[in-house]
Amino acid sequence: MARVYNWQLGREMSYWYPESRPTKQFAAVFDTNKCIACQTCTLACKTTWTSGKGQEYMLWNNVETKPYGSYPMAWDLKLLDMLEAGSWNGSTYTGQTIFESAKAGERVLSWRPEGEDYAYPNVGEDDCAGAVDAGMSLSMPHMAWFYYLARICNHCTYPACLASCPRGSIYKRPEDGIVLVDQGRCRGYQECVKGCPYKKVFFNPMTGTSEKCIACYPKMEVGLQPQCFVNCIGKIRMAGYISKPEQARPDNPIDYLVHLRKIALPLYPQYGLEPNVYYIPPIHVPPKFLRQMFGPGVDAAIAAYRNAANDPDLAGLLSLFGATESVMTRWVRRGEEVAGVDDHGTTLVRVPMREPVHVRAGFDKVYQIMRSNCP
Amino acid sequence: MRRHLVVLVAVALVAACQRGPETTPDVVAVLASAIPDRPDDPAWNSAPEHVAKLLLQDLVEPRLMSASTPDVRVRAIAGPTEIAFRLEWTDASKDDLPGNGRFVDACAVQVPQKADPNAPDPQMGQAGKGVQIAYWRADWQATVDGRGTAIQDLYPNATVDHYPFEAASLEKGSDAQRQMASRYAPAEGAGNLRGGPRTSPVEDLVAEGPGSLAPAGGSSARGRGVRTASGWSVVIVRPLPDGLTPTSRTQFAVAVWEGTSQEAGARKMRSGWVGLSMRGTS
Ligand code: SF4
Ligand code: SF4
Repeated sequence: MARVYNWQLGREMSYWYPESRPTKQFAAVFDTNKCIACQTCTLACKTTWTSGKGQEYMLWNNVETKPYGSYPMAWDLKLLDMLEAGSWNGSTYTGQTIFESAKAGERVLSWRPEGEDYAYPNVGEDDCAGAVDAGMSLSMPHMAWFYYLARICNHCTYPACLASCPRGSIYKRPEDGIVLVDQGRCRGYQECVKGCPYKKVFFNPMTGTSEKCIACYPKMEVGLQPQCFVNCIGKIRMAGYISKPEQARPDNPIDYLVHLRKIALPLYPQYGLEPNVYYIPPIHVPPKFLRQMFGPGVDAAIAAYRNAANDPDLAGLLSLFGATESVMTRWVRRGEEVAGVDDHGTTLVRVPMREPVHVRAGFDKVYQIMRSNCP
Repeated sequence: MRRHLVVLVAVALVAACQRGPETTPDVVAVLASAIPDRPDDPAWNSAPEHVAKLLLQDLVEPRLMSASTPDVRVRAIAGPTEIAFRLEWTDASKDDLPGNGRFVDACAVQVPQKADPNAPDPQMGQAGKGVQIAYWRADWQATVDGRGTAIQDLYPNATVDHYPFEAASLEKGSDAQRQMASRYAPAEGAGNLRGGPRTSPVEDLVAEGPGSLAPAGGSSARGRGVRTASGWSVVIVRPLPDGLTPTSRTQFAVAVWEGTSQEAGARKMRSGWVGLSMRGTS
């Protein structure tokens, strides 16, 4: 194993291959606070990519209710259990990653789902943590909670799927860091299905190969965001490219949210893959639960997010989510307006910080009638 | 005295009839004018048997950590241009349904690309010293034997609302329909036929070390596998390996994957090299 640097862990770690970062790294920010679990993203992906024979059960994008939902079944709990508790010393992870705790004969610490584990994609949907007793809604804070976790492949910097494949059939594109299964080379050993801790590679029994999210690379190549991003009803998603922390640029929306404001956090960073989908954590969930899921930055992230209304730059950038199909590699705020910009400086979209509000009189004098209360 | 002699001859005759097949420390192919294609062909009775002891593949990760199939009984019959191997091994469960977390039974024979007294690494060869592999799979056999290629053939209770390429607006069997179906079957589109309809249960491969397995230029191997009372009996027919003549030998190795033990790819039981020679029928 090689020694590589994982900035999410604040330390070096072991990995199957030497460090080789792409020129650009595909990345995304998901705001969990805005997701309504409508599954439009799931369908957008399904319709576009996985409507074939052998793909029936496959959800490259899925949305699960936490704490009880999971697809495939218990994908996170099983591995957390195997990995055992690890600690953080400030922002440095002192526990073991899945590469460092691989068992003899294995490349990563992993488990293999069975067919049945994929049979209940909506298990635990809308189930609260704890019982909701009568009268509970009358006092704050509510003790019962749940939230929606939308998931795609994380196009990890250190992919476990790639490390697990004994024949090098999975590759990370040097130009954008998107992780793909070479469909001409894969022989369907299912090592990647076992190795990915997020369980985002799927075996297709009809073609006999493994398949996974491709970050809609034909769209990304022409500057358009993937299908699950642009179809998102809640406008929770933004796709772009992330820099290394020391090269972070404030005018790159992903860098700004992840590196500079640190309000978007990786999913289970302790696994050690440097995943590149970053989540703004839900503000109403016990931080103890969230720290296990998103690492030690949770409390600061929630504090910054809660303060967004007094933070014009942050509020401005958040209002660019879902504002255009184009990839906004840059952004700028000009007073009360925020704009998404491309690499050439062309403005792609302009959004007012506050939508204009018109208040009409309750009584319509022309028609001599009370107006109904429509916004 | 004469009575004793008669009894002795009778005992010897009975013992000879009950003796198993001739066993050999290497694989010895008997020369014959016709190559048997089927595992139950009586011609196999004329070939001696080599019992290949299998080892865990525990040289490269991912390894197989607990042993499954202990050995394979190998017989071989050679003709002027081809050689047939019959591999038989014990396997309590028939695994021929591919699926999520489901693995299929399989076997393979391996010979050096070029006969060389200094043989390539037995584990898939090495750079510059390749090996040829003929690989048989139980699910391919099932498809060749007539199993359908719909999802319900793998998961009988599966229900499917709709495949876009089966929309009424697309003419059945038209180019447009085929192209659309292929867009949702990327491996097929890439010419990588790991599943779906097949004409042969055997695939020709070459390798120059672990992880380098690749399809051979053309397809020349064929074969047939059947379930026996205790496991599998598989015939693999391929062109005569380089260097194998009635007066010169080469090497041979075999591998078995046991589906229930989740064996695939590098997780397999395999033999080391054993000699492969030829002799006239006895
Ligand atoms: S999330 Fe899984 S499938 Fe995606 S790159 Fe990471 S390890 Fe591979
Ligand atoms: S489309 Fe958006 S809001 Fe709807 S489930 Fe997906 S991520 Fe959540």
